[in-house]
Amino acid sequence: MLFLQLVINGLQLGAIYALTAVGFSLIFGATKVFHVAHGAAFTIAAYLFWWIFTVLHIAWPVAVLAAVVASVVFGLAMERFIYRPIQRHEGAFFTVFIAAFGVQIIIQNLTGSVFGRGFASVTTSLSHSVEVLPGLFVAPIAWISLLIALVVFTALSLYLSRTHTGMAMRALSENPDLIRVFGLDPGRVAQCAFGIGSAMVVPGAILTSMTAGLNPAIGAHVMLISLAATIVGGIGSLRGAACGGFLLGLAENLALWRLDPQWSEAVTFVVLFLFIIFRPSGFFGRPQAAK
Amino acid sequence: MSAAPVLKAEGLRVGYGGKPVLLDATIELRPDEVLCVIGHNGAGKSTLMRALFGLITPEAGRMLVDGAQLDPHVPRVLASHGIAMVPEGRGIFPGLTVRENFALGMWSAGVPEKERDERVEWVLQVLPPVRKFYDRRAGLLSGGQQQMVSIGRAILARPRCLLMDEPSIGLAPKLFQDLMQPIRELQQSHHMSILLIEQNVREALKVSDRVVVMKAGAIILEALPGELKDNARLMELY
Repeated sequence: MLFLQLVINGLQLGAIYALTAVGFSLIFGATKVFHVAHGAAFTIAAYLFWWIFTVLHIAWPVAVLAAVVASVVFGLAMERFIYRPIQRHEGAFFTVFIAAFGVQIIIQNLTGSVFGRGFASVTTSLSHSVEVLPGLFVAPIAWISLLIALVVFTALSLYLSRTHTGMAMRALSENPDLIRVFGLDPGRVAQCAFGIGSAMVVPGAILTSMTAGLNPAIGAHVMLISLAATIVGGIGSLRGAACGGFLLGLAENLALWRLDPQWSEAVTFVVLFLFIIFRPSGFFGRPQAAK
Repeated sequence: MSAAPVLKAEGLRVGYGGKPVLLDATIELRPDEVLCVIGHNGAGKSTLMRALFGLITPEAGRMLVDGAQLDPHVPRVLASHGIAMVPEGRGIFPGLTVRENFALGMWSAGVPEKERDERVEWVLQVLPPVRKFYDRRAGLLSGGQQQMVSIGRAILARPRCLLMDEPSIGLAPKLFQDLMQPIRELQQSHHMSILLIEQNVREALKVSDRVVVMKAGAIILEALPGELKDNARLMELY
C-alpha cells in the first residue's frame, strides 16, 4: 500500500512539475529564450494567491485571477524589457540566461522582504487526506491536481492546433524569418507564447500553496526540477515536458520507498543524468547530429 | 501617362557587417508584367528581393509602392498593399499541415473569414495536385509539392504583386515548367505583376516579359528576353 501511496503522491507532485515544465517549454520552443525566470512567475503567482486568499480573506476566484494577471504581466514584461533588448543587440544565450537568473534572485529576495522569509501555506479542506482504501490516504487536492493538469494540457493542445495564434506559435518555433514573410510580427507571437506560458504556472503555484507550502525560494526549486523535466522529455516537446514532469514527480516520491527522504531530490537528478547519458534527446526530442 | 510602378527601388544600398552586397540598385516592377532578375550566385538578387519585401533595412535608397513610400516598409504593411512573397527554399512550416499553412497564410494576410473557404477552393483549382496532400504535414512532402504549397499560400491572398525567389531550386526542369505554367496563366488573367529571381535562366526567360541582369551587387543590364536567348550574349554578361 505504501507503493500505491507514493505513486499517488508522485502523480500529484508530477502534475505541478509538468504544468510548470510545459509552460517553460512552450516559451522556449516558440522563442528559443531560455526563460529561467519562469520560476519567478511561479513565486509571484503563489504568494499573491496566498496573500489575497489567506491574509486578505478575499474570495478564491479573485485571488486566482490576480495570480494569473500578475504572472502574465511578469512574463510579458520580461520579454519586452529584458529579453528583447538583449536579442536586439544580438545578445548571446549566456547573456539571456544570466539576466533571467538575476531577475529570479531579485524576485526571490523581494518576496522574502514583502511577505516574510518563513513558511506560508493556504489551509483548505481540500488538502485534508481521507482514507480511500485501508492504509491509503488521498486528499481531494490530489485528484484536483491531476484533473487540472488534464484540462490544461487538453486546452493547450486544442489552442495550438485549432487557433491561428496557436498555429503561429508552432510556426515561430520552426522559422521566425518565415513568420515575417507571412506578414506576421514575430515579436507579437512571442508575446503570446510568454503570456500563455506564464499563465501556466498558476495552477501549479496554487496547488503548491495548498500542499507543500511556500517559501521565497519555491519558484527557483520548482523551476530547477521542471528544467530537468524539460530535458528528460526532450527539449522543445510539450508532450515530453509533461511526461518528464510526471516522471520526476514519481521518481522523487518512489525514492522514499527504499531511500531516506534526503535522497528523494537527488534521485530526480539521477534520472536526469541517466537520460543525458543513454537518451540525450529525451522522450520525444529529435536526436541532434554533432556539428 | 503610364501607371506608376507597382514596386520601385531607387539607389538601394544594402550591406552585411560592413560588407556591401547591393550597390545603388534601381529597379522597377511595372503593372501586369513578369520581371526576371538573373545573375550568378552572390550577385545580390536575393538581397534585393528581401529588401524590396522589407525583410532587410537598406543603408540607403528608397522604396516606393504605387509611387508612394510606405511607413514602415515591412512585410505586414506590404501584404496589406497586395504584395506577397515566395521565399527562397521551401516557404512552408514543415511541422504544420498544408491546411494549417494555408490557414495561417490567410489569417496573417487578413483574408476575411467568410472568404477563406472560397479562396482555398480557388487555389486548389489553380494548383490541383495540392488537393491530394492537403491534410498532410508539409514537411513530409516532396520538394516540388512543398514549393507548390509555398506558392499556393502566397496567392491565397490574391496578391496583385508576387515576389518569387528562385522557385526552381531543387526541382527538375519539367517540374518547374509545370509549376510556373499555371502561375503565368494566373498572372495574365489577373493582371498580376511578378518579380522572379531565377538561376534557371532558360526556363525563366520563357515566362518573363522583361529581364534584369545583376553582377556583384549592381544591375548591369535591362533587356527583353529575346535579346538574351543567344548563349554567347549571356556568357558575356556572366
